Amino acid sequence: MLAGACALVMLAATLEIVLDGALGHSSLIPKSPTIAGWLQGVGERLGFRIFLIALLAFSGAYAGLLLLLARSPLKGMLEQRRAMRWAIALIAVLQLVVFVGPILLSTDVFSYIAYARMGVLHGINPYLNGPISIKGDAVYKYVGSDWRHTATAYGPLYTLLSYPLALLGFVGSLWAMKLVALLASFATLALTWRCARQRELSPVPALLALGANPLYVIYGLGGAHNDLIMTAFMMGAVTLTFAGRDAPAAAAVVLGALIKATTAALLPFMVLARRNTATIVGALLALVLVALASLPAFGLHGLDVVAALNRDAALVSTDSFATEIAHLFGKPGVFPIDHDLLKLALLAIVVHLAWRTWRGYDWVAASGWTLLAISVTSTWLLAWYTLWSLPLAVVTRDRRLLWATLAIQALFIAHQTAPLFSPVS
Amino acid sequence: MNASTTWQRLPERLRPREREVRGRGDLRRVESTLLVLALILLAIATVNDVVLQTHTNGRLTADLRTWRAVTGHNYHNISVEQDLKGHTTRDVACGNIAPGAPGALPQVCFVLTGPVVHGRRAANGGFHLPPFTADKRPNRYGCFGSAVQQRLCPP
Repeated sequence: MLAGACALVMLAATLEIVLDGALGHSSLIPKSPTIAGWLQGVGERLGFRIFLIALLAFSGAYAGLLLLLARSPLKGMLEQRRAMRWAIALIAVLQLVVFVGPILLSTDVFSYIAYARMGVLHGINPYLNGPISIKGDAVYKYVGSDWRHTATAYGPLYTLLSYPLALLGFVGSLWAMKLVALLASFATLALTWRCARQRELSPVPALLALGANPLYVIYGLGGAHNDLIMTAFMMGAVTLTFAGRDAPAAAAVVLGALIKATTAALLPFMVLARRNTATIVGALLALVLVALASLPAFGLHGLDVVAALNRDAALVSTDSFATEIAHLFGKPGVFPIDHDLLKLALLAIVVHLAWRTWRGYDWVAASGWTLLAISVTSTWLLAWYTLWSLPLAVVTRDRRLLWATLAIQALFIAHQTAPLFSPVS
Repeated sequence: MNASTTWQRLPERLRPREREVRGRGDLRRVESTLLVLALILLAIATVNDVVLQTHTNGRLTADLRTWRAVTGHNYHNISVEQDLKGHTTRDVACGNIAPGAPGALPQVCFVLTGPVVHGRRAANGGFHLPPFTADKRPNRYGCFGSAVQQRLCPP
């Protein structure tokens, strides 16, 4: 009964955001071709107040649902099965509602399309040039103004995979990106369910904690972020390790890292835990294969992604915890010395976790802690970065990781709420 | 020589383990304490930032209201610049002198200082800007009120 009420609140909040968002450009909805025009006419233009109320309601219902599951664990096969069907239905409905709606809260997907169109339609290397080099292209005006001069920071595998989508036309590629994000999300969820079962954890809470997470649904899927593809590879690697297939598991980590570099954080812990040559051979083979495949497309410039990541590491966002702590101590923002201190803190955490993994701590949990530490110590924090550790957190026995990840997400959401208390008009 | 034999050469406290040994839980306690302390710090920083943002939003709203009240124009597109260099609460609010696209006409700017009183702030001076120009000192003209003493316009 209570669980049903929570599900209804989550669905209502998602519908509110999507239907209001369908009305078009606002401070929360990026400029975009009208892809959800048929949803217009029901809502009002999405403003901060309505969005934040919906997000808070969604988050409250999500927390309620998780607490209900924690307080009364599912007993018996029949109850498990019924709950599983119910959880899958809820997650599917939430994600499909977001899928049919507009692009939410981020212009990143237009950068993905721009890089693909640069390579396929204009013969321009996206590792050397920013979208500014295709100023006349239909996608250009939708790319975020901060990223127009920026060469891609995504892995060569992602760029290669995105190339065929450029052939579908601008609107076609936008839908294709949304579909890829949805399928990646479903793959991540299916693999998470499998991992939970392999670890003899109840799959229903794991599935709900991930698939019905407000930041996952609204920000991750709503923005069609490639982080969902990264998490699919990540969970693929974890599933393969649990099945004792170390070489393909290590290959999956490397492939994930060649989508988005963050996945590489799993590799040292996997190597330390498995301690066999198959892991290293699998990783190297995947690396060589992608290098060979991407060489004709990008030349050696695919390696420029490393420089791009260094550049991005220096960026500062107002939502980062580093900025918040700087403000707490009366500083206007983050200074270069703070970047160094944060890197040192991250290094200390990674060394501690590596030592613990060597001495038998769960490598999946260690990887999750590292991903969480990366997002917390990053000076450039976006909502979907707080999702990285979540799939790993729901399949580890160290419950502290799940609570810490959810606490960080809660703080992120709390930080967005200032316009609710004092709207600028 | 297989891998497990290689590790056997290491002293016991350096050898890898398949599973953690259940100890007294001291390490876990230390980790959990540090984790809770870190989360408390982040929570305090978050609340502090929300309060700061709320104050800033309140001030910006007062700036907009003041500009509209002084000029008598109920325009929507008024730009407010904060003093990001000096970190003071002195803001500059600029808007068109007559109806038109934002920045397409000469603009009148007010220097706004002091606390928010009855939803407004003190506008004791200001200057003008030509159309399509950024608020840089060389672009300003017609300084009035406190802006003259503060030499906000070029001579």
